[in-house]
Amino acid sequence: MRCELHAEWTKLRTSPATGWLLLAVVAVTVVLSTATAALVTCPSSGCGHDATRISLTGVQVSQALVAVLAALTISSEHTTGMIRTSITAMPRRVRILAAKAIVLTGPTLAAGAIGVVGAVVAAGRLLPGNGFTSAHGYGPLSLADGSTLRAVAGSVLYLVLIALLSLGIATAVRDAATAIGVVLSLLYLVPIIALLISDPQWQRLLRQISPTNAGLTIQVTTDVSSLPISPWAGMGVLAGWTAAALLGGNLMLRRRDA
Amino acid sequence: MQATIEVNDLHKRFGSTVALDGMTFTVRPGRVTGFVGPNGAGKSTTMRVILGLDAAASGSALVGGRPYRTLRFPYRHVGALLDAAALQPSRSARHHLLWQAHSQGLGARRVDEVIDLVGLRQAARRKAGGYSLGMRQRLGVAAALLGDPPVLMLDEPFNGLDPEGIVWIRGLLRSLAAEGRAILVSSHLMSELQDVAGHIVVVGRGRVVADTSMADLIGQHATLEDAYLELTRDAVEFRGAS
Repeated sequence: MRCELHAEWTKLRTSPATGWLLLAVVAVTVVLSTATAALVTCPSSGCGHDATRISLTGVQVSQALVAVLAALTISSEHTTGMIRTSITAMPRRVRILAAKAIVLTGPTLAAGAIGVVGAVVAAGRLLPGNGFTSAHGYGPLSLADGSTLRAVAGSVLYLVLIALLSLGIATAVRDAATAIGVVLSLLYLVPIIALLISDPQWQRLLRQISPTNAGLTIQVTTDVSSLPISPWAGMGVLAGWTAAALLGGNLMLRRRDA
Repeated sequence: MQATIEVNDLHKRFGSTVALDGMTFTVRPGRVTGFVGPNGAGKSTTMRVILGLDAAASGSALVGGRPYRTLRFPYRHVGALLDAAALQPSRSARHHLLWQAHSQGLGARRVDEVIDLVGLRQAARRKAGGYSLGMRQRLGVAAALLGDPPVLMLDEPFNGLDPEGIVWIRGLLRSLAAEGRAILVSSHLMSELQDVAGHIVVVGRGRVVADTSMADLIGQHATLEDAYLELTRDAVEFRGAS
């Protein structure tokens, strides 16, 4: 497995798209979170906003970049035909997928951590100016606070799981455009459908099982008891999606002619 | 490890099309074995089955006595050039070889050796996507030689090479065979094989129609091309009106 990891790491670091996409993950997470924090105001005591969640808004967009990066690591091989070279070099196909998953985790974790911590630090400087003050019931954002730490660490973990989910789906569907389309639909279309459904029972169910809705409950630090699913259970739902996608992708990779 | 490729009674269909219909032959060390046949005869499919890319419905394909999929570092057993375009165009040629070397437990030094061997040193740091077909063929040959394998399998290696390149690869194949390696080369260019191959396997409609030494084959016909056309007359699927 060591040689497969080395090979996949060399592929990842010598692909020009990798560096740009990771940089974009950091930038988008920080900039969009900061912009949101700059726009939201808390004019009076008990305005009902979740300051931690506001400062992590950028994750909702940077997850798309993470998903694209992950999908490309395998679907660009299928599109170009390089997958045949990969399988010739590494005939035990499950090891290719496992190595890709492992080498993808490191950079995603690093970019996600820099982006998320950067977002909280930047937003934490702006929010007091917009009325998020102790007079209105808000302390300064701090990683020493248990629920904020959970939201921050959970957001990084969320991005890693989204990357692996996307890798699994892309392995199964192969074509780059199709893979990215399927992943982005799953990430963004399902939450929109949940918004449009009027029946509260169905809406609740959809929010419990959608990878984005369930996974992002990890960012919520206020009114946790009113969530359709608890933060770590929501992360568990996303992990379930990721595991299913990787298992499905592995099955397809092993079964099909390359 | 013995330097051989043993293909035994391979069968495979794509939908209703029979691709392999009892394909059986052996590639022996110390000589170049030419692998010829019309389009759709099963040459590439056979090579893909040998490499474990495609699964055969039945039959076996062994490299040095072992199924390809069980090889820990396959490049050290077989070097293969199947599709020179099977690379990511935005990666440099050197990096394309580097990840393959790493997958075999080899290092950058071996990469630079094979780059020199195929004459790509000047262009090695350029994006492989900008390569001409001939340069990609050289890159593919470099990858095939990475693991210094006792067995080589090249699908249409003359494709896209300029005359200098054809002379070069002909000499390379001869010297690799002289070192005792088993070499299987598919080609449409009969004249090229006539100069290089000591043995010929002619296939049509998924099976072997002739498996003989070049000398015997030429002895019965004026040229290899004549022999080929005679043997594959009934196996050609696509033919213009004459």
